[in-house]
Amino acid sequence: MPQLGESIAEATVIRLDVAVGDSVKTDQEIIEVETNKAVMGVTTLCDGVVSEMRAVEGVSYSVGSLLGLLEVTEEEVVRTGVDTVESLEAKKDSQSGRKDKGEENLHFALDGDSYEEDPSIIPSVKGLPVPTGVMGAHYISPRMRARMNDLGIREADISAVVGTGAGGRVTVEDLERFIDYLEDWPSVAASPMRLAVADAMRRSWTRPLATVGLPVLLDRVLDHRRAQDPKPGLTLYLLRALALALTEQPMTAGYLIGEKVIHPRSFDIGVAVQVEDGVVVPTVRRVDRKSLSELIAEYDDLVDRARRRRLTEEDSKGGIATVTNFGTFGLTTGTPIPLPNETLILGIGAGKKKPVWSDEVEAFIPATEAELMLTFDHRVVDGGGAGVLLKRVAALLQKPESL
Amino acid sequence: MVTYIDAIREAQERLLREDDRVFLYGQDISSFGGAFKATKGLAEAFPNRVFDCPISEDAMVGLAVGAAIEGMRPIIEMQFADFSSIAFNQIVNQAATHFYRTGMPIPITIRLPSGGTPGSGPFHSQSMEGIYAQYPGLVVVTPATVSDAYHMLIDSVKLDDPVLYCEHKFLYRWLKSKAINGDHLPIGQARIARPGKHATVVTYSAMVHEAVRAADRLQADGYEIEVVDLRSVKPLDLDTVLASVARTGRLLALGEAFPWGGVTAEVVAKVTEEGFHLLDAPPQRLNARDTPVPYHPKLWAAHRPTPESICDALRKLLSF
Amino acid sequence: MPNVEEKTSNHIVPADGDFLRSAFRSMLKARILENKLSSLYKAGKIVGGVYLGRGQEAISASLGTALIQGRDCFAPLIRDQAGRTAFGEPLIDCTRTYLGSVEGPMRGRDGNIHRGRPEMGMPAMISHLGAQVPLIAGMLFAKRLKGTLAGCVGATSVGDGATSTGAFHEGLNLAAVENLPMVVVVANNQFAYSTPNSRQFACADLVDRAKGYGIGGFSVDGTDLMACASVVGEAVRLAREGGGPQMVVAHLLRLGGHGEHDDGSYVPEAARSGHYGRDCIEVAMRQLVEGGFATADEILGWQDEIAEDVQKAVAQAQQEPVPDPYREDWTALSTRFPVSRT
Repeated sequence: MPQLGESIAEATVIRLDVAVGDSVKTDQEIIEVETNKAVMGVTTLCDGVVSEMRAVEGVSYSVGSLLGLLEVTEEEVVRTGVDTVESLEAKKDSQSGRKDKGEENLHFALDGDSYEEDPSIIPSVKGLPVPTGVMGAHYISPRMRARMNDLGIREADISAVVGTGAGGRVTVEDLERFIDYLEDWPSVAASPMRLAVADAMRRSWTRPLATVGLPVLLDRVLDHRRAQDPKPGLTLYLLRALALALTEQPMTAGYLIGEKVIHPRSFDIGVAVQVEDGVVVPTVRRVDRKSLSELIAEYDDLVDRARRRRLTEEDSKGGIATVTNFGTFGLTTGTPIPLPNETLILGIGAGKKKPVWSDEVEAFIPATEAELMLTFDHRVVDGGGAGVLLKRVAALLQKPESL
Repeated sequence: MVTYIDAIREAQERLLREDDRVFLYGQDISSFGGAFKATKGLAEAFPNRVFDCPISEDAMVGLAVGAAIEGMRPIIEMQFADFSSIAFNQIVNQAATHFYRTGMPIPITIRLPSGGTPGSGPFHSQSMEGIYAQYPGLVVVTPATVSDAYHMLIDSVKLDDPVLYCEHKFLYRWLKSKAINGDHLPIGQARIARPGKHATVVTYSAMVHEAVRAADRLQADGYEIEVVDLRSVKPLDLDTVLASVARTGRLLALGEAFPWGGVTAEVVAKVTEEGFHLLDAPPQRLNARDTPVPYHPKLWAAHRPTPESICDALRKLLSF
Repeated sequence: MPNVEEKTSNHIVPADGDFLRSAFRSMLKARILENKLSSLYKAGKIVGGVYLGRGQEAISASLGTALIQGRDCFAPLIRDQAGRTAFGEPLIDCTRTYLGSVEGPMRGRDGNIHRGRPEMGMPAMISHLGAQVPLIAGMLFAKRLKGTLAGCVGATSVGDGATSTGAFHEGLNLAAVENLPMVVVVANNQFAYSTPNSRQFACADLVDRAKGYGIGGFSVDGTDLMACASVVGEAVRLAREGGGPQMVVAHLLRLGGHGEHDDGSYVPEAARSGHYGRDCIEVAMRQLVEGGFATADEILGWQDEIAEDVQKAVAQAQQEPVPDPYREDWTALSTRFPVSRT
């Protein structure tokens, strides 16, 4: 059944003009059909003899259906160039994947169902832009980002997730599976304090931090302290020593923003105070201008309020460096992390009685030694600068009466 | 069985019967019944309501606008959407601007037989919905089902604004339905032709059927593809599209029109603007190639999206 | 250009005094109003371009006067101020549109000569010339379907340039095929912007085309009010009585530039000093007085009265507010679609 007009899908056979055994000539109208638009004649392509007539009068056939077969001589095939049953079979075998629809149309070139076409002709479709260098969780889709925001998750938190997307990226499905997986594990909600510390440490950690250390003798400080009333905390000595050392090299506490290093104007230094489930850092103001004894009251008040969680926002603002005494936990060494807005943190470990070489008496003498650790943002400070600062702090601590 | 073209004819028959203001104007539509027989029998059933006109698309639409000013509701049949370019001025400058400029709406409906069929060639295959949608003041509808062909034509004539009714020639007799549904969605609302959860295909007209075929193939691989039938290209139901993308996170905008701009670009732009956070992969488009529509069926089959190329695009989208 | 002697009206109809007086008043109104617009333009008060009908008043007023507002429909074009006035367009519509008042018929959304009142049977033109021809045909076609066509006429006027457009051809052909009572006045003012007739058409006379369309064709001296009144009146009558479309080609000269921004320096001196270069208002004035249809004093009175009306219309329009972008609803569709955001 030929395509006898655009959008014609089928036609009804209204008269068969030939029967099996009849001879037909080229261009002879042999079957009369009616479409929605007109009455037309199905025409032969070559001379031959009708060998089979499948069409039945009064029945509708869709475009492409086989209506009948002609027996044709070889010469006639060559003369007219028609397809025969055999030649079409041969063509079918040579074209991979050409779907057999069950109803072959052997007389007419057009396929009845135009949805099926040769799969070797697939129009090119531009590939998706897989981000270059995608590795692990580095490519985060907008939907991922939105979902992570909902769940309060950061990139660092999903570094453990295996991605199944392009380039190994973590897809939203991967994330959801991971969240479901964690449901089975025992968990507790993180307190606001915990989240605040987590956020601060994460932000601080985005910088290249390095730590250097120096052993310091504490005997002079301890003696000095014993003779004081009220007694200044050990950390307060450290605070004063650091402040004075920094007034000599303020660039060591410089803060890098873009292409500028901002130098401190006022030597306000924070003190790390351990509280339940976290750490708070109140700031002592203008440490360089006040003597140790002058600072005691302010320092004690800040630490006390810190412990009672009574600090105001103003109390913790504006420091240029922090001091931490992890010796109070019994630790001897550590690599403390500075606050995100500071370049330096100075820490001290627990004092231990040790034999120390004395040049004066040329023998080992007992002394109280502690490790002084300085962690710094290596973009601003190098080992040399850190070393100078640390040595100065250690030297100042040997003259506690000058603090 | 009711074919898509039967539905169009029945809708016009009902309109002529129920509303005296409706008349049909086009080439070969009266006793001949139209090039595709969309108006077969209507001239006889409704004398002096169905008219043959000269080959003057500009004048046809100009006449329609004038008749609308006088209170009529003409339906203009363009023999092929492709010929509406002759009437472009009257459509976009006269009809589309009239309400904005004068406050008087122009209730005309222009039927555009759109889309390709094998062998139809460059000037009998075009899909022009994107071009008309660009102009403010026009409504552009693209029915994909037999029921929508019926109901949306009636709704289009009922609207007080000029409507481009883009009927798809391939679907005329290839698409059949047991009956026309009683209920229907209003113009401006899309429908979910096939629910899914792994990716969304937003499309319209004949491509809805190609998309569903592609989705069926991908189901064998375990993917559930959701197909959204826009039904009307302008107004475009962004709410339904966004809700679908919220479910799936992946979008393929599919259309038969030329690739530059158009409906698929508008869908992607809108989803990216308002649903950026819903996307887990870059939104994709699949259109015809950037050439005129070819004549030979083998070339034509490779020019427009097919279930194969749709599957290909979806696979790329799903593996991102 | 056709020989002057041949082109005075081929249908001599006795002059109707009332018609002439009415048409002449419309001509005066148009001229005085447009002179005022020209001044306002040169004073920087007009938003956009100004396009005047100087020289075309006689033929335009004749058409507008022959039509019956409320029954007929009329699509005026660029230089039809006289016709608009004759058909019933209020003066204030013109000043409001030109001066950008939001109260004008187009509410600031279109301007200058793109104004109209479709509900009054006077559609607003678009810039694409020729497009109004099928529009008027459609209005008449609708009247026929509604059963109200009897005794009605639809008219539009075009220039020599518009006759080259596809829309003109399609529209006129369609009106002829549908046998609609349409009158198309072709004001051949010899120039389409700067393009002379020799670059616009190759037929000897535009009226020759009427035969090609199978419609009635008339030729008239556009500078002669009595001739215009007679010929246009006859054409309108024929159409009204079922004679199908009628084309009236009026020969005249555009007496200004294409717009007020153009000085028309390409118009040759010979044209200006030739027969068709005369001012139709001066000719009409002479005809009215010599024919005893009006006295010189009466005419002066009319001029004063009109000048006053124009002044009032200008003053009022200038006081009115301009469109406020924040108050606009910014929609081009009358339908409010709930679901979509387009």
